[in-house]
Amino acid sequence: MKKTRQALQVLAQRREYGLLALLVLTVTVVTAINPVFLSATNIRDMLVQCVPGAIIGCGLTFVILTGEIDISMGSLMGLLAAVVGLLTTSEHLGLPVAAGVALTLLLGASVGFINGFLVTVGRVPSIIVTLGMLTALRGVTDLLMGGQWITGLPAGLRFLGVGTVAGVRVSLWTAALAVVAAILLARETPLGRRIYAVGSNPQAARMAGLSVRRLKLFVFTLTGFLVGVATVVSVPQLSTIESGIGVGLELFVVTAVVVGGTSISGGKGTIIGTLLGVLLLGIVRTVLIFLNLGVHMVYWEGAIQGGFILVAVLVDHFARRREE
Amino acid sequence: MKRYWHEFILGGLLVALLVVAGVTDAGFVKPATQLELSTHVWELALLALPMTLIIITAGIDLSVGSTMALCAVVLGLTYEAHVPIWLCAALAVLTGLAAGALNGVFVAKVRVHPLIVTLATLSAYRGIAEGISLGRPISGFPDSFAWIGQGTLGGFPIPGVIFAGAAIVFGVLLSRSVIGRALYAMGHNETASRYSGLPVDRIKLLIYSLSGAMAGLAAVLFVARRNTAKADIGAGMELDVITAVVLGGTSIFGGRGRILGTVLGVLLIHETREFVSWRWNNDELILVVVGALLIAAVLINTVVTGLKRTE
Repeated sequence: MKKTRQALQVLAQRREYGLLALLVLTVTVVTAINPVFLSATNIRDMLVQCVPGAIIGCGLTFVILTGEIDISMGSLMGLLAAVVGLLTTSEHLGLPVAAGVALTLLLGASVGFINGFLVTVGRVPSIIVTLGMLTALRGVTDLLMGGQWITGLPAGLRFLGVGTVAGVRVSLWTAALAVVAAILLARETPLGRRIYAVGSNPQAARMAGLSVRRLKLFVFTLTGFLVGVATVVSVPQLSTIESGIGVGLELFVVTAVVVGGTSISGGKGTIIGTLLGVLLLGIVRTVLIFLNLGVHMVYWEGAIQGGFILVAVLVDHFARRREE
Repeated sequence: MKRYWHEFILGGLLVALLVVAGVTDAGFVKPATQLELSTHVWELALLALPMTLIIITAGIDLSVGSTMALCAVVLGLTYEAHVPIWLCAALAVLTGLAAGALNGVFVAKVRVHPLIVTLATLSAYRGIAEGISLGRPISGFPDSFAWIGQGTLGGFPIPGVIFAGAAIVFGVLLSRSVIGRALYAMGHNETASRYSGLPVDRIKLLIYSLSGAMAGLAAVLFVARRNTAKADIGAGMELDVITAVVLGGTSIFGGRGRILGTVLGVLLIHETREFVSWRWNNDELILVVVGALLIAAVLINTVVTGLKRTE
């Protein structure tokens, strides 16, 4: 048992080393071709782009660790963006920013809780629940916005998007905090160990007295909450809130988590892996631009991101085969 | 009778919807209106057939919308290169077949979870479609080609006739053939199926390839109907297709489902959508209704059958 666990750990670590090496290699090559790539501004821009993926990726990693899935994050982000805008702009409700943000986070957590409730108590498969939410929440968002953009975001909200503390963007601080908290939760707390236990063997976990239901409710609620956090620090980067925020984000985050080495059947995966997956996929577009291969290269972004997953699973497949 | 209760509920809902629509909006239920509105559903309906087989084996194919886009772009680019149009159409279907087969190889041979494989190809196929077409629309197809998407045969739209034929073939394949029985067996217990000597890998390769080829066919019909091929077609289509199949009573865990249910699921979604759009002229409301319908249908299904969930 101990041996298998050690072997698994080595395998999981190897994935992270591999990703890190690939990331360093990409950055080195691109910088050699175009030194501006490693300028402070560009690094900041690339990191800022990765913020929503990194924050939500933490939550989704836990969901997938328990053997479930959530694909409603993109639509939830769209909804929460509309809600935070409607709550805080003087043109609409004009609530204080702190109250608006708190309500948005609460709503995010509530939608996550509803997902979890339907999965655990309603016994509806998580892919169905969150697929339904993906569709329905997008509709609710469009109904709320009524085809209008929300403009005139209050300064307090804009600060969360573009403000800096000690020279670093608030959104980057927030993402760093979320990642560190998630790592601590996963590795240093009983709750984290239980999440792994539920994913690797739900039956054994239940017999050991763990409440599988409550743990799953927790991870879904956490993910909804983190979508709220990602929304309030990323959406106010722009001065308007338009419809269509978060479209396709769920696919990006699921891809990043899987590329990061989390097993889709649960029980195996790390936050660091997810973070590396987000960084690797998040810089593809910028890399394509900086390689100066012509404007048209940007069209290949999707193909390259998809190719990453296929390569990742092939590497896994052959690594496993060698071990057997 | 009891076996078909899910189909009865769907049929009942469909009739109820049409009766309500008939009372409030008589124009909506006129055959001419229905035929006109039906042009929106055929691609979705065609893709739902192979998706039913795949979900019965506890698999999934998220790449169908992207495959459609790739096939449409191949059709457009080859036509621009002065290839005869019907040869272009054949190439589009072949592209779909190849794209589906690649999914199948990853699922069956490399043994990767189909959710992951097709999530990857969802990005990749649309990415390739965007890359080779540079995102621009291609139009100017000949009238003879438009006929397959817009023409009628004995008063019925040609895509509808194609769908009816395909539905019968898939229905027979699923309920009356050895492969059909094997699909259910694989969905119930894949390991046992392997030990019983079923060619599990070959069957998986077959159904994913079939799904790709149908996406190719759907792309041909779509391009013929709209007279335009662009890399953004079929975006989000996979979710509509899966919603229709699951609404039709196919279990996402595999082992359960029928073509009849899928056809009713497709019809119910289609009529709900068109009615909401007809009456309230509100596309946003459609999304809310369809999303809620999906969750409600599965929730009721699990509650009524008391299905034991494997966790």
